[in-house]
Amino acid sequence: MKHTFLCVFISLWSMNTIMAQMPHDQIYMNKNIACGALLYGNSSWTNYWENTLKRDNPNIGKLSTESLSAMIAYGITKKVNALVMVPYIKTQASQGNLMGQQGFQDLSLWIKTQVFNYKNLHGHATVGVSTPLKNYVTEFMPMSIGLGAKTLSGRAIVHYNLPSNLFVSATGSYIIRGPVNVDRDAFLHGERLINSNSVPVPNAMDAQLRIGYLKKENQFELFAEHFSCIGGDNIRRNSMPFLTNDMTMTAIGAYAKYQLKSLGISARVSYVVDGQNAGQSTNVTVGLLYLFKTK
Amino acid sequence: MMKKYIYYLLAFICFGLLQSCDKAESEAILSPYTPASVDENAGNWKTFVLSSPTEVSINAPLATTDPAYLKEIDSLKNVVYPNLTNEQRQIVGYWGAGAVYRWNEIARELAARYNSAPAANAEGKYPVPDANNPLADPKFPFANPPYVSRALAYLSVAQFDALVSAWKYKYQYNRPAPSVVDKSVKVLLPISNLPSYPSEDAVVAQASYVILLAMFPGEGPFLKAKLEECKNARLWAGMNVSSDLNAGVSLGGAVAAKVMVKARADGMGAANNQAATADMITRSKSLGFKTVWASQESPARPPMLPTFGNVKTWNFDRATLEAIRPAIPYIEGSAEFNKDLEELQAIDKNQTREQAAIANFWADGPGTYTPPGHWHRYGANAGFEAKYSEVRMARMLAYLGTAEMDAGIACWETKFYYYSPRPQQYGLKTSVGLPNFPSYTSGHSTFSAAGAEVLSAFFPEKASTFNSYAQQASDSRVYGLIHWRIDCIMGLKHGKTIGQYAVKRAQQDGAL
Repeated sequence: MKHTFLCVFISLWSMNTIMAQMPHDQIYMNKNIACGALLYGNSSWTNYWENTLKRDNPNIGKLSTESLSAMIAYGITKKVNALVMVPYIKTQASQGNLMGQQGFQDLSLWIKTQVFNYKNLHGHATVGVSTPLKNYVTEFMPMSIGLGAKTLSGRAIVHYNLPSNLFVSATGSYIIRGPVNVDRDAFLHGERLINSNSVPVPNAMDAQLRIGYLKKENQFELFAEHFSCIGGDNIRRNSMPFLTNDMTMTAIGAYAKYQLKSLGISARVSYVVDGQNAGQSTNVTVGLLYLFKTK
Repeated sequence: MMKKYIYYLLAFICFGLLQSCDKAESEAILSPYTPASVDENAGNWKTFVLSSPTEVSINAPLATTDPAYLKEIDSLKNVVYPNLTNEQRQIVGYWGAGAVYRWNEIARELAARYNSAPAANAEGKYPVPDANNPLADPKFPFANPPYVSRALAYLSVAQFDALVSAWKYKYQYNRPAPSVVDKSVKVLLPISNLPSYPSEDAVVAQASYVILLAMFPGEGPFLKAKLEECKNARLWAGMNVSSDLNAGVSLGGAVAAKVMVKARADGMGAANNQAATADMITRSKSLGFKTVWASQESPARPPMLPTFGNVKTWNFDRATLEAIRPAIPYIEGSAEFNKDLEELQAIDKNQTREQAAIANFWADGPGTYTPPGHWHRYGANAGFEAKYSEVRMARMLAYLGTAEMDAGIACWETKFYYYSPRPQQYGLKTSVGLPNFPSYTSGHSTFSAAGAEVLSAFFPEKASTFNSYAQQASDSRVYGLIHWRIDCIMGLKHGKTIGQYAVKRAQQDGAL
């Protein structure tokens, strides 16, 4: 990769209370180069899908999730990068009397590596783990700041360089999510009542298709993405969501980054066009990036 | 080098994917036990609804030397046992925990499934669930705490009365268990010297089926399947012959029908009289309340069962209900009121994780079996640990269940007598969701203190545990910011008094 001083970015895709952090690009930093980023995200929805029924809820109004994330990416070698991220999340409902929640959410770590490089075609893989930083409340959905599950995820990225600095890229990932211990000692899982505090959170997968322009430090791209759970149940009629729900979202969006020497800025917007057991959210993330050498 | 490790990691992930296909929680299989006592005198125990244990009659069984009976035994040995599948063995294991135990658990599951408030329609009105169209939207019933307290009370009472009658006939006819008659009958469950005609499991299954079908009329196919499973498990386990089961079905069904006659006349049909609220509000104002309760939902929802307080109680009469009604709570503007408000404001500003955990643990809100369900679970588990016989388990749950229903009735009567405002009418948020009915007294506190009082009487060695649970359940409503401290203090006191009436009845009946 020629772009020595490119800062790896992370895209935040927050929906309801899930945050799928995705180091999904093909960009690497050279050995001993680090990039620190501060990202502010705002995700909000007024309409949501209760199972398949699209509705609003005057007892919630607009649900907003704000996040402030600190991220560091580091070049272990030229072709192996590590990324670490910590978000602080705050939720709030514009109507009704549900109490907003806030706190540090999950610590995430990814390792990204190039798997093959053939002419204009590159393949990459990432593995990631995440774990809640604190024992935050998970069952008070949709106000909770996260699902509280430990995760292990694998991602494959295929990137193809087109002429004139254009590219197309496709990614697919699978997220294994561990069970979550909730405060209550019984919960419904589908039609069954489970007399336990250990809640199975369904695994999930997501896929993205991206097309964009990439030149030196700067890039612009359009994307479509789809997130869905593997199994899980549906939000019950006129009820709040729960950790066991089978959430599905399809979103479209755009991303841009501009790097001015060691300082850079990024912005990402996305909008959920379809879903199930999820909010129809509009998501905006802006970031401040800073590159530095560690040795 | 690095690459190699990454391939290992990827291989590990692929393996993980294969392993994680089925993540549904499987519940612990409880190991079946031989009861600490078979309670051979239970045929003389005092019933709740039946005037005598032989009010419903059953046919005398055939002698164990009768060819028809021997054919039934032969079927267990040569048809049922040799063809047992693994699935059937698992079903036997599930029901081996006890029919009363499992049917109570099934009732709690139904309660959770039906515990959702109707959604507002396009006109901003909340349709009332229709018992004649139970699976339409909104589903019938809305299994809220009063509804569940009542459903579980009638379930346990029907199981108990039917079992007392069954015990009477068991020792009258003294038909031994199949494996006692013929030593070569193989059994999958522990065997006691309890006579097997009529089958206690079939009695419980049919009685439970009748009550639960009346309470959850949309669940016919589900309940029928459980009923068949429960009965078949006894055949598969070699514990009963068909004629034991058939007699149990006929007895359990007939007793439950009598219990349902009482249920239909208890006033539940008139418990949602919204027209009565105008007078209640007038009374509240005349008592000095400056702010009366108002729904905080949008659109405003009519209060939950405003006249449930008129439903007939079990363990005390109407005059007593009024005499033990808690005194008027603190009125807005008083120093005591301000102190309660300040406590809530402090939690609103800085709720600790532990407070949130306690609030969540006891929330028992939508999609759960409600506080009466929580206490029945504790009762059933305590009875299981103490190796209670079926009839002893049902008896303990009947006193618990009637106390919980009385607690629901007396608490609702209090709530709608005072019609007092919720903390959310003073700008507070909630971390558990706000129930849609007046504040004073706390239902959780009342249900929990009543439950703890009854269970402590049956399991004195666990009294301090149950009492601390009740205190915590009560505190949880302050931590969740939906009750004033005074609601919880007085609810606990009220609940304890209500529980004492059930305990007194149990003592008079010789159950304690």
